[in-house]
Amino acid sequence: MHTVIQALILGVLTGGVYALMASGQTIIFGVMKVVNLAQGALVIAGAYLSYSLFTSFGLDPFLSILITTPALFGVGAGLQWLFLRPLREEDRAELSLLVTFAVALGIEGVLSVTYKTTYRTIQASYADRSFSVGGYQISAVRLYAFLLSAALLGVLYLVLERTKFGRAIRATVQNPESARLLGVNARVVAAAGFGIGAATAAAAGAVYGLLYSFNSGSHYDLISRLLSIVVLGGLGSIGGSIVGALVMGVVASLVAALGPPIWSDFSFFIVLLAVLLLRPRGLFGASLRGAL
Amino acid sequence: MLDCNRMQRFALRRRAAAIALVVVTSTLTAAACGSSHGNTAKGPTTLTIGISLSLTGDFADPGKAAERGYQLWAKTVNAKGGVLGRTVTLKIVDDASSPNQAVSNYQNLINRDHVDLVFGPFSSLLTIPSSAVVNRYHYAFIEPAGGGPAVFAQHLHNLFFVQPAATVQGGMVFADYILSLPADQRPKTAAYPSLDDPFASPIADAVRQRFEAAGIRTVYKSIYPAETTDLSPIIAKVAAAKPDVVVAGTQSEDAYADVRAMIQLKWAPKWLFLSNGANSPVDFPNAVGLANTEGIFSSGDWFAGSTASGSAAFIAAYTKAYGGTADQIDSTSAEAYSCGMLLEEVAAKTKKVDNATIISTLHSGTWPTLEGNLSWDSSGTPQGSYLLEQWIGGKLLAVYPANRAEHPPVTEPLAWAGK
Amino acid sequence: MSRAGVLRALIFFGLLTALPFAVTEHWIVNLGVFTLIYAGLASAWNLVGGLAGYPSLGHAAFFGAGAYAEAIYFQHRGVGANGLLPFLALPVVGAGVAVLGLAVGWIAMRTRSDVFAIVTITLLFVVQTLAFNLNSLTGGSQGIGMPGAPFDVDSYERPFYLVLVLLLALSMGITWAALHSGAGLSLQAVAADEERARGIGVHVTGVKLLAFAVSVGIAGMIGAVWAYYVTFIYPQFAVDPLITIGMVLMAYLGGRGTLWGPVLGAFILVPAQQYLAYQYGATQLYLIAYAAVFLLIMLLLPRGILPSVGHLMRRRRVVTERASEEPDQDAATTGIGADGGVMVR
Repeated sequence: MHTVIQALILGVLTGGVYALMASGQTIIFGVMKVVNLAQGALVIAGAYLSYSLFTSFGLDPFLSILITTPALFGVGAGLQWLFLRPLREEDRAELSLLVTFAVALGIEGVLSVTYKTTYRTIQASYADRSFSVGGYQISAVRLYAFLLSAALLGVLYLVLERTKFGRAIRATVQNPESARLLGVNARVVAAAGFGIGAATAAAAGAVYGLLYSFNSGSHYDLISRLLSIVVLGGLGSIGGSIVGALVMGVVASLVAALGPPIWSDFSFFIVLLAVLLLRPRGLFGASLRGAL
Repeated sequence: MLDCNRMQRFALRRRAAAIALVVVTSTLTAAACGSSHGNTAKGPTTLTIGISLSLTGDFADPGKAAERGYQLWAKTVNAKGGVLGRTVTLKIVDDASSPNQAVSNYQNLINRDHVDLVFGPFSSLLTIPSSAVVNRYHYAFIEPAGGGPAVFAQHLHNLFFVQPAATVQGGMVFADYILSLPADQRPKTAAYPSLDDPFASPIADAVRQRFEAAGIRTVYKSIYPAETTDLSPIIAKVAAAKPDVVVAGTQSEDAYADVRAMIQLKWAPKWLFLSNGANSPVDFPNAVGLANTEGIFSSGDWFAGSTASGSAAFIAAYTKAYGGTADQIDSTSAEAYSCGMLLEEVAAKTKKVDNATIISTLHSGTWPTLEGNLSWDSSGTPQGSYLLEQWIGGKLLAVYPANRAEHPPVTEPLAWAGK
Repeated sequence: MSRAGVLRALIFFGLLTALPFAVTEHWIVNLGVFTLIYAGLASAWNLVGGLAGYPSLGHAAFFGAGAYAEAIYFQHRGVGANGLLPFLALPVVGAGVAVLGLAVGWIAMRTRSDVFAIVTITLLFVVQTLAFNLNSLTGGSQGIGMPGAPFDVDSYERPFYLVLVLLLALSMGITWAALHSGAGLSLQAVAADEERARGIGVHVTGVKLLAFAVSVGIAGMIGAVWAYYVTFIYPQFAVDPLITIGMVLMAYLGGRGTLWGPVLGAFILVPAQQYLAYQYGATQLYLIAYAAVFLLIMLLLPRGILPSVGHLMRRRRVVTERASEEPDQDAATTGIGADGGVMVR
C-alpha cells in the first residue's frame, strides 16, 4: 500500500508539470487549429535558457521564468507570424503539422550548435532535498515544480476568464467566425495564442531542467507524451489537458511501481487508445464540427 | 472547351514526364561523374584511413572524443615519419548516429573514395551493420567501440574489438573482487536495476549469474526503458528490498539519476557498482557532487593513472593538443588512439600494412595498447579483462586486480547513508 | 491508359532497371537502394495521406513491423541457397502487415484528420515500445539479426535494388488505378468531404480502410527488404519517426495526391540528404539546413512541385488564351492535376 501511495504522489507531482506543458499545446490548437509539433522543442529551449541563466548568473530557475517566459512569448508569436500565417486557410491544418515539425528540427539544430549534445541538468542546491511526510518521501524540487505549475495554470485561467484579451481568445476558440464578426482581430489572437503556448513551454522548461537531464534531442520523447495528453483530454480543452496529464502521470507511475517499469509509458498509450475507441474526441473535446 | 482541357492535360503530362526524366538522368550523370573521383591515384606515399564517426546525433560526444583520439594518433605517427614511410591521412565522415548512414558511409569510403584501410564507428549499433559491409570487401575492421554480443555472433574473421574484453564482461571484475572476499564479509543479498540497453543490462545479468551461483540471493531485478529520466520509483523499490550490494547496469544519465535518487531517499547499499557513468572522471562528480562519489565502484579499460605502455606519452600529447587535464580525457579517445597503435605495430612487425596482412597478423599473439595487452579469438572477441575502479578521496583509482591496482579497495558506508 | 503515360512509365522504369547493370559502382547502387526505399514509402503513404486525405504520421510503425517480421522469421532460418527466400516471403509479410493495418485503421480512422495524425504518431511509439519490450521475440534493445545474403559481392546490391523497383512499380500501379477507377473516385470524394461522400452512398469506411491497409502493407514489405539489406535492426531505427517524416516530406515536395509527385520528391531529397550528411554532417548545421529546406518547401510550394508547376503553366495558358480572346474558365477552376487525376485540395 505504501508503494501505491508513494507512486500516486509521484504521479500527481509529475502530472502537474506535464499539465503546464500540455495546456500551452492545447491553447495553440484551440486558437489556430494547429497541432504544434514544436511544443516539446520549445520546452527544451526554455530549459536551456534557464540553464544558461543559472550557470552564468546563478539565477534560480524559478526566478528565471520571469525572464524566459516573455522571451519565449515573443519567439512563439514570431514563429507564428513567420511560418504559420503565410499558410493558406485550407492548407493550414495539414501543413501546420509539417511546418511545426520543421520548426522543431530547426530549434533542435540551433540548440545543438549552441550547447553541443552533452546532457545538461540544472543542479540547484535544493536538488537533492526531500521532505518526509507521514513516511512518504516527497522530493522538494518536484513539489515546487508542481506548485509552480498549479500557480501558472491559475494565472492562465484568470487571464482567459477575466481579461478582455482572454475573452477574445476563448471566443476565437469557440467560434472563429462569430468572433471575427464581433470585432476580434484574428491575426493578433493567433499570434498571441501561439505566444502563450510558447510562454507556458518556457516556464515548464525551467522546471523540466531541474527535474530531468536533457539535450537538444529530448523533444521527441516529450512531444509524444504531450500529444497523447492533449488528445486524451480533448484538443482545445485546458481542463482536459490537466486531467489528461494527471492521468498520464498516475498511470505511468503506478505501472512503474507495481509492474515491470518498461511497460509504464506503454500502459498510458493503451489508456489513450481505449478512450479514443469510446470517445474519439477525447474526454472533454467538443463534438461540434469545425470547432474543437 | 473540352479540347482545350485535353490539350492542356497532354502538355502538362509531357512536362511532368520531362521533369521526371531530367531528374533521373541528372542523378545518373552525377553518379557517373562522381565515380570518376575515385580514380585519383593514391601512390605509396600516403595511407588513407576511412572512418565513419557519429559527430552529430545521439553519439556525438563519444564520437567527437574518438575523433580526437584518431587525429592525435595520426599527428603523432606522422611526426615519426608515418607508417612504413607513408603519411597517414584520415577521412572522417559523419554518420549522424544512424546505421543507414554508417552503411552508406563505408560503401562510399571503400568503393568511391577507395581508402586503403578503415577503422570502426562508435557503438555496436553502428558497428554491426558496418562490419557486414566492410567484410564483403575484405577490409580489416579494427574497431574501438562495438563490443556487444551480437558483434561477435557474426563470427567475422576481419573484426577486432579494441578493448580488453567483450562489453558484457564489464562487471566480471567486480564479481571477481566480491567473490574473492572471505565468506563472512561477502554480501548476502543483491539488487540489479538495469537500463534497457545492449551494454547495460547484459553486464548486470552476467554478474547476477555468478553471484547466484555463489549463493548471493537476488532480492530485486528489473529493466527500465531507455529514456527513463526519473529513477526514483525504481530506486524506491530497490531500497525497499534492502540488498547488501547493488549491481546496476547503467549508461551515464541513468547512473547519475540512480545515485541522486538514492541520495534523496537517504538510502545506500554496502557496495554500489555502476557499470557506466561512474567511470567518468569529470562528469560523475559534477552530476552527483564530489563528496557523494566516495566508495562507488565502476569498471573501465583506461584511466588517467594507467601504467599501460604509451599511456604517459598519450596523455602528454593529448593535453598539449587539446588542453585540459589527464582526468578530463574520455577513454573513447584512448580506445581510438589504440586502434592506430595496433596498425603501427603490425607494420613494424610485418613491414606490410594491407588488409590481408592485418587480419592474419592480429589473430595471434598479444598486442600492447593504451588499454593493456590485447589478443583476440577468431571472431574478434578480446581475451582480457577490464579494471575495477573505485572513487577514493575524490579520485577514480584502479583497485583490482591487485597487480594492476593503484590502491586497495575501500569498504566503508557510502557518503550519504544514514545522514 | 494514355500513350504518353505508358511511354513515360516505360522510360522511367526502363532506366531505373538498367541502372545497376550499367553502373557497377557499389556506392551508387547503394544510393539507389535507399532512394528506392523512400520512393516506395512516399508513394505508398500517398495513398492514405494524399489521395484519402488522412495524413498518417505513423507509417514508420508498419515499416518497422515488416522489418521485424522478416528478421524474426529468418533469424534462425537459412535464406536459401540463392538467398531469395526473404524476397519470396514478401507477399506474406505484406498481407500480414495489411491485416494489422485494417485493425489499426479501424480504430484510428474514426477520428478527425488532426486527431488521426496524433493517433498515428502515438501508434508509432507504441510499436517502438513493443519492439523494445517484447525481448524474447524481438531481441529488445539488443536488436535482431538476419543472415546475410549469399549474393555475389560484385553485384550484391542488385537483387535488393530490383525488388525495390518492383515494389515501387506496385505502389505506383495501385496509385494509378486509384486515380482512374471507381474506388479511386470514392477515395477522392472521401478526401474532399467525408460527410457528403457518405451522404451520396460512398462506402466511406470500406474505402478508407482499404487504402490504409494497402498503403501500410507496401510499407511493411519495403521494411522487410530493408531489414535484409542492413542485416541487423534495432527498435529505434526500425520504428523511427524520422522515416515517417522523410516519406511525408517527399510526398509533399513532389506533390501530394499525384502519381509522380512522391517519386520525384524522393529522387530529389534522398541523394541530397546523403550528400549533405557526407559533406557537411559534422558541422551540426545539417539539421538546421534540413529544417530550412523543409520550411521553404512548405511556404513556397505548399502544393508540391508537380502541382505548382502545373498550376503555373495553367495560369500562363489562361493568360495566353485570354489574350487570344477566348476566356477559359475551366482551367482555373477544374483543378486538374498533372496526371489527369482530380486534385484533392
